Amino acid sequence: MKIIDRLTKIDRRIIYLILIVVVALPLIVPSVEKVRVMAPVEKLFNAIENIPEEKALIIDFDYAPQTAPELDPMGFALLRHVFKTRVKLIVISLYVQPLGLAQKALTEVIEEYNSEAQTHEDSIVYGRDYVFLGWVPPPIIPILGMGESITNVYQVDYYGNRTDTLELMRSIKNYNDVGLLISLSGGNPPKWWVQFAQSKFGLPIGAGVTAVSASEFYPYLQSGQFSGLMIGMKGAAEYEEIIERELNIKRERKASEALPSLTYAHLVIIVFIVIGNIGYLIKRRSK
Amino acid sequence: MAVILLIGLIGVAPPTHVRAYDTPDDGGGSIMVEWHLSQDDAILDGYEIYRSNDGDVYEKVGFIGRNRTRYEDSNTEDGENYFYKVVALKDTLKMYSQASQPVMSSPQWFDLPKLNILIACVIFGGLILYFVYHARKGKELYIRKIAGLQAIDDAVGRATEMGKPILYTTGTGLIGDIATIASLNILGEIAKKCARYDTQLINPHLDPIVYTVAREVVKESYTQVGRPDAFDPDSVYFITDLQFAYAAAVSGIMVREKPATNFLIGWFMAESLILAETGASTGAIQIAGTDRVPQLPFFITACDYTLIGEELYAASAYISKEPLLLGAIKGEDLGKLIIGAALIAGSIIGLLTKLPILNLFK
Amino acid sequence: MKKGLPLILVFICGILGIIQYFAPHPVVQDTDNFFRNNLLKILAAFALVLGLGSLLKVHMDKIKRKRENWQYSWVLIIVFIITSIIGLFGGVTGEGPLPTRIGSFSFDNQTIYDNVIVPLGSTMFALLAFFMASAAYRAFRARSTEATLLLASAFIVMLGVLPLGDRISPHLPSFAQWIMDVPNVAGQRGILIGVAFGILATALKIILGIERSWLGGGGE
Repeated sequence: MKIIDRLTKIDRRIIYLILIVVVALPLIVPSVEKVRVMAPVEKLFNAIENIPEEKALIIDFDYAPQTAPELDPMGFALLRHVFKTRVKLIVISLYVQPLGLAQKALTEVIEEYNSEAQTHEDSIVYGRDYVFLGWVPPPIIPILGMGESITNVYQVDYYGNRTDTLELMRSIKNYNDVGLLISLSGGNPPKWWVQFAQSKFGLPIGAGVTAVSASEFYPYLQSGQFSGLMIGMKGAAEYEEIIERELNIKRERKASEALPSLTYAHLVIIVFIVIGNIGYLIKRRSK
Repeated sequence: MAVILLIGLIGVAPPTHVRAYDTPDDGGGSIMVEWHLSQDDAILDGYEIYRSNDGDVYEKVGFIGRNRTRYEDSNTEDGENYFYKVVALKDTLKMYSQASQPVMSSPQWFDLPKLNILIACVIFGGLILYFVYHARKGKELYIRKIAGLQAIDDAVGRATEMGKPILYTTGTGLIGDIATIASLNILGEIAKKCARYDTQLINPHLDPIVYTVAREVVKESYTQVGRPDAFDPDSVYFITDLQFAYAAAVSGIMVREKPATNFLIGWFMAESLILAETGASTGAIQIAGTDRVPQLPFFITACDYTLIGEELYAASAYISKEPLLLGAIKGEDLGKLIIGAALIAGSIIGLLTKLPILNLFK
Repeated sequence: MKKGLPLILVFICGILGIIQYFAPHPVVQDTDNFFRNNLLKILAAFALVLGLGSLLKVHMDKIKRKRENWQYSWVLIIVFIITSIIGLFGGVTGEGPLPTRIGSFSFDNQTIYDNVIVPLGSTMFALLAFFMASAAYRAFRARSTEATLLLASAFIVMLGVLPLGDRISPHLPSFAQWIMDVPNVAGQRGILIGVAFGILATALKIILGIERSWLGGGGE
């Protein structure tokens, strides 16, 4: 009887301890958890694949350090995809905080490719294959302004070069030359892109958002306003999965490695609920 | 190549039927321009919108992508005449439309699309006032038992017996949140009970304005039950206006002071579970209440009693038993009945028919 | 008069709040903006001074009377003074009159924000994961039919968001989504309709002076 009593009254500190162990262990000893790619992520992948050769992709890095664990893996996976298939890439931010994170992602992924490149043709070259335009406040100004002229809004890029001297920007004038924009954000920017860039200029929009905010964005996917959507750690893991499967990109899979922590944490909670209920039911029956 | 050459030779077709009108139902300063697409819309860069005061000299006011037939110029002077032209743009090639008729922007006193909301407000507000008026006449009203509110007496009594304080937090809402105001109303009633039983009250705050109001509320409550001397001005105090710093501070108070009862009533965000779970670990009786739906599951799992949504608003009437306040609750119930009936009727009609009347609700 | 004046002010501001929703005219919008935004800002500034005063007084009192845990009050007061000095004289990113740097440490608001507020806030936020586990363990018991239903749906939703759920059955994630989209939303809307009426009634009662607890009770 004592054991059953204990089952219903496990000390909260034991629960906390077990939880921290199962969350931390998979992070210390990483292993990749395979996931099935769901429709919204597959749509996003296909949207990038279907960008016509002459058009560019814009990635809007708009997340701060707080949401980086969920959104960083999305940024990395997207960049790997884009550089592998050589889609023209424009990187921007609507806020100043994400600039550092965007720069870090670009540097790391480009290093991966360029360290293996044999020729200048093979390597990722700034100005030819991608540009990093930086940030122009306030957020709505660039969203609207780029519909008319991107180089007018961003007259200099993040590094201080005049944008009209960049090779890539000569063929990309405004949204008519952009095949897709993907907004990675923990807040409102994906909605703004739909509200201002899509409704006024017809720009196709995709998004990567945090799991907490996902419910706000589902309607945009259902209505077709989003060309694809990645949600939280699982969405990022799915994207890592699809680029490995379809394009044979075998790199570090941050999200897929973090997924076991998420799974085990949920399982621990489920197990504790089951234990509590077993104790409770036995106790009730014996009364 | 041939196409480009052809465009160069004959140009592109301009947009037609340009029409400008004062943007309806706004505060002025805005004119809406509409047009029919250029026949060459598919190959255009987009449309430029030009404006003139005299119909002679035009300046560019905006740009919009192709396949669009409408632009809002939200930068006009009210009472001045404007002419508009829309330009089809392809690279450096521009084709101007005919000018629109002159138009003037002006502010409106009433936002017509909100008429339905006004009518609903009048009907439901009227219902509530009608029952308040009836209650004034002294008609007895029945109100169902709300477990969380019935527990208040026991909770205060328990604290008195144990000689421990009561903690009351109005959450992280500001004075503009009605939930905060409802919470202050309940605080007043609980402060009266604390004054009667001589139980210590701890009431920490996140917002300085809410703090000043709460102090007055508590002070008045003590005065009303004839115990102004028992009011401790340090029982109501401000801590910080940072959400998680506040959560940390209140959790600290729970652990150190070990209140017998915690009231978590008002507007809460993610700190709801932090507070409720810390309170549960100290063994206090917890009565929570909020209208924030995402936080309700946390309160329901971690607290003994939870006032769900509207119960929060009914609470002060319930505790004070004041007939005028009870009357309002009756009005609310009838309002809900009407909405419920309308929802059911609407669903049935929607399932069975495609009546044009349904377009009214779009 | 003591209660008459506040009641009149509340009535005017309340009615203005309603009218501004329906009347876009600048005359209405500007008046409303003055009353409810500008005046509120001034009020808030005074209230903040009162609030900080109360905080300091409570803790000074604690130290003076050597109440339990009075040592912590010193921590609060000292940190309060330091942050106030940095906040008042350090500037946002170090352009204030303070000697702004010692080594790589800069005495400004951004430093406090990045190095104190953000990590402490994240820590508090992260506690939620642990609290969720302990609260779920304690509360999710099959006590009644309703509680059992709640328990079952919680299970399905939790499994549904995991890759594991997909492996158990490919239908599980869609079923979890259905629970979130249909029964869950229906319940939420029901609560929201009630809340809307509660808000309407409370607002009316306060604007018309029927509810006066906020003035300190219902008496005249």
